[in-house]
Amino acid sequence: MIAGDSRFPITIVTGFLGSGKTTLLANVLQHEEYKNTAVIINEYGQVGLDHRLIRRIEEKTRLLSGGCICCNMRDDLINELKEILNEKERGENDMDRVVIETTGLADPAPILFSILMDPLLTNRFYVDSVVCCLDAANGELHLQNNPETLKQIVTADRIIVTKTDLVDHERLHQMHHRLHHLNPAATVYGTAHGIIDPTVVFDKGQNSQNNRLEQLTEIQEKYRDKKVEHDTEVRSMSIKFYEALDWTAFGLWMSMLLYTHGEKMLRIKGMVDVGEKGPIVINGVQHIIHPPHHLEDWNGEEKNSQIVFIMKGLEPHQILESLVAFQNILGSAPYIEEINMNPYGG
Amino acid sequence: MCVLCGEMIMSVHWTDQPLHDVEYRNKKVVVAGESQRDRRRLRLKRVNIANKILGFYGLKMNDWNGSRYTLFDKKGMSKVVNDLGGMWKAASDLCHKNMDRLGPAFLS
Repeated sequence: MIAGDSRFPITIVTGFLGSGKTTLLANVLQHEEYKNTAVIINEYGQVGLDHRLIRRIEEKTRLLSGGCICCNMRDDLINELKEILNEKERGENDMDRVVIETTGLADPAPILFSILMDPLLTNRFYVDSVVCCLDAANGELHLQNNPETLKQIVTADRIIVTKTDLVDHERLHQMHHRLHHLNPAATVYGTAHGIIDPTVVFDKGQNSQNNRLEQLTEIQEKYRDKKVEHDTEVRSMSIKFYEALDWTAFGLWMSMLLYTHGEKMLRIKGMVDVGEKGPIVINGVQHIIHPPHHLEDWNGEEKNSQIVFIMKGLEPHQILESLVAFQNILGSAPYIEEINMNPYGG
Repeated sequence: MCVLCGEMIMSVHWTDQPLHDVEYRNKKVVVAGESQRDRRRLRLKRVNIANKILGFYGLKMNDWNGSRYTLFDKKGMSKVVNDLGGMWKAASDLCHKNMDRLGPAFLS
């Protein structure tokens, strides 16, 4: 939780069907400090959760005219969140955080969009993080065959590889590597039987930078790509700037990029040095940008802006050329740290 | 609410979000208009930079009383926009071109 902020954190748990979302939650929610977590479940069928503040909703989507898929409003969620809030105000529950468990096929983007765009919700809740579960045994298959899984992974701040007891060490290691290439902005954890430190799921959201260093070293590790069999058109790229960027110019550049290519930018995440004491954290999924967040200081890290882009159907060199063309306005030239042409192409 | 036309603004574009939001939410006493000067300065700066880009398409943007932007082309057509999210859309409508920032014409 951000200190002094009266808003409640929301954690979104996604993952393909049978990837162990419920098992994970059941384990994590047992802990005493999370007993006041309200859980919103979007899944049909049996609920494996035994929790006080549990709710089930049916997916209901309001399509906004002219919007793309990620700009749909999830009416069901908005209503449910408001209802929880009402009960809290009436003193009927002691909710202090919310967990949303999505269906295995859900796209997390509309959920983010709904929370960030609703005038009431955006002032009472903030999205702490998106956690994605991936089955260690079948995850590779899911990633290759289901675009939903790909989207969930790319949107996630943290990826939890579940059922690690079912596969050997070598395979697990390989999977970790591939996930890092697919989404360099996320941290990957492993768990067996859903047993994991609850702080991995909660509390270390997009607003914390504890994992940055660890992540960076991981990003920099070399990895030889397998022979490409089919192209998923997914590209990820990490760019560094060694001088301070102009935040106003950066906002212009980003909004222009998102206007023309918003649907192709699956994910943008990074820290931007604007010449002040601390960096600005940006985090975006397609058109939806989390409110930029200013950190107090760099926490001992190098003062360099670093931004990770994950895109589909867009070539990294296009972004790069555009950044180069804009370098006079932005105030710094881009340096490529890493480009992955086909992180999950088979 | 927009003071110029009474339109309700339901969401704040991310480029207009205050960067020191946490600090602000922490405050016990809020003085009305305390950071207005910074906000206006930021807007003027934004307009300045945007005009460098928009100039390529023969467009010009102005700040309108710190609450809106107005967009003009050289024939005198104009549009009112709320924020940068709507600005690019309005700009490409005005110049009848798809403003592809990655387009080779623009980059060269």
